[in-house]
Amino acid sequence: MMNGNRREATGLALVAPSFLFLLVFFIIPAVLLFVCSFWLAQAFRLIPTFTFDNYSRALSAGGFYLLTLNALKNGLWTAVISVLLSFPAAYFIVYRTRGNLLFYLILVSWFASYLVRIYAWRTILGSNGLINTTLMQLGLIDQPLEVLLFSPFATILTLVHIMVPFALLLLVSALRDVRKEYIEAARDLGAGGFEVLTRVILPMSYKGVVGAFMFTFVISAGDFVTPQLLGGRDGMTTGILIANQFRTAGNWPFGAAMAFILLATFLMTYFMFVRLLDVLRLAPGRRFHD
Amino acid sequence: MSTSKIVELYGVSKAFGALTVLHDIDLAIQEGEILTLLGPSGCGKTTLMRIIAGFEATTHGRVIIKGANVSNLPPDRRPVNMVFQRYALFPHLDVFDNVAFGLRLKKWPKAKIQEAVQHMLHLVQLGDYGNRWIHELSGGQAQRVALARALVNSPSVLLLDEPLAALDLKIRHHMLAELKRIHRETGTTFIYVTHDQDEATILSDRIVLMNRGRIEQIGTPEDMYAKPRSLFCARFLGETNILSGSVRSSESGVTYVDVGPGTMKVMTNGTALSAGQNVSLAIRPEALRVARKAEFPGGADDHNALEGTVEEVVFMGSRVVYSIRTPIETIKYQETSTMGHAMLTQGDEVRATWRPEAAVLLTH
Repeated sequence: MMNGNRREATGLALVAPSFLFLLVFFIIPAVLLFVCSFWLAQAFRLIPTFTFDNYSRALSAGGFYLLTLNALKNGLWTAVISVLLSFPAAYFIVYRTRGNLLFYLILVSWFASYLVRIYAWRTILGSNGLINTTLMQLGLIDQPLEVLLFSPFATILTLVHIMVPFALLLLVSALRDVRKEYIEAARDLGAGGFEVLTRVILPMSYKGVVGAFMFTFVISAGDFVTPQLLGGRDGMTTGILIANQFRTAGNWPFGAAMAFILLATFLMTYFMFVRLLDVLRLAPGRRFHD
Repeated sequence: MSTSKIVELYGVSKAFGALTVLHDIDLAIQEGEILTLLGPSGCGKTTLMRIIAGFEATTHGRVIIKGANVSNLPPDRRPVNMVFQRYALFPHLDVFDNVAFGLRLKKWPKAKIQEAVQHMLHLVQLGDYGNRWIHELSGGQAQRVALARALVNSPSVLLLDEPLAALDLKIRHHMLAELKRIHRETGTTFIYVTHDQDEATILSDRIVLMNRGRIEQIGTPEDMYAKPRSLFCARFLGETNILSGSVRSSESGVTYVDVGPGTMKVMTNGTALSAGQNVSLAIRPEALRVARKAEFPGGADDHNALEGTVEEVVFMGSRVVYSIRTPIETIKYQETSTMGHAMLTQGDEVRATWRPEAAVLLTH
């Protein structure tokens, strides 16, 4: 019994720091914000009450849907492209290389800060940027292409650049669990390359795939810096709108309400993605017989 | 048992970079037999099996299965199935779906799959385990599922890569008997890779003993034990005493060999040996006759005798193994224990003799 108690105590001691951190800096603020989303603000002052006004105001504005659609588009495109780009790279790193050199090279892009990378893309995509000057000098265009910069394209391109290392890291660690033996066993039982992928590798690295997709999706869809700096007028997202409520408009309750609506759409996306993998028979733990 | 060849290997070589792991292997495997690839680690036995399965390409040579050249076919298009050392059962599928994996790829109808999988699970005595997840199985059960998953595809050849290595001793012996039963009931050809000579002798119709990428000897377990053709073979299969010496004379099937304290007589099969040639004599511990010098009966075995002192007595239940120090080598002698009672004791001065037919003369 003594032993069991001590093990429990050790377990608690190990969990406590991260739990306390999350409690103080995430759970309590989130609860406060949730409460706040039912309050009202007048002339920069919070009025405690209980009303669904903020929610109904957001949901009745056509613009809110448009911006949320933009945010979801940014998130989905970034997540899909990041995972599709990272998966073959992760596969190559895990099964075809011995060292980790390639892996580290891709992770090196983390050494550049987030903002530096955004400005780098601004330089590359801008009117006087690398792409436009090259195209003009080649005589392919006479006017700089304005759509390169300040467009959803620029936002997604930059977000993918930022997200690929995260996705890669998650996918590499997931694929490392799929030992080569499993792939050989599938081949031995008659599976071709595509069947090995869909019947063994994807179900076995399911957590990594879901993790990589959701991680890149949530961060990209909620991001308000990249779309603000690169997205242009059409690239406005809910994230920017929410940030503005807190920073300039001073309407915390309205911002909080929109944040929780966005959170709800993220959760829905998660369930839809998981359901999709299930329907595609890519989820583990399913029985295929009676 | 039919005697047609089901797998034929011609001049198979394999090199990984500068390292050649298989040298020019020729081998024919008969339909329905259990053939063991036996050898120490690094001898190339696993590589040879992986070449038959299609996981490794040959550097030179051809692989023929059922008369068709499969050398350039990928594993999924070869009529063989494999049981992996660590089973490699898919953890995201339950037992039934693991076994059904191959049949689903072949697009069998559902009812037929149901029937075949159930039949196979019964064969490996796991009839009620279809709904179990892989992590809920014991080592022995996982082994049976791996067998069922391979056998359900009715392969021309079942490849088994050290399948018992991960099991503990008791289950291992039980599984050997099970493998024999399953082999009997299915009639499938088994190619079995192991480094364990006991597994090989218990299980095999024929053993292919490999060493350093070459085939050292092929034969039935009895043959390999009684007539090893090389020192390596004599040492690898079972315990043996090796006495080195040189040929004194050799004619018409009888050779005399100078071994330290005396000249030994050994029967050879005609091939004349030149005097002075270095040779070894291999004598199995149970082929010796040993008695205390004082009680020695004397007799016809005059030529082949060594005297020595009993140095160690190891009681092993049904048998007793003695180490006897002689002027040239410390030799092992084994006898059946009589009701848990050893005949000789440590320090006894003894005389060991053997019949000329009991020794095997080895030239390398």
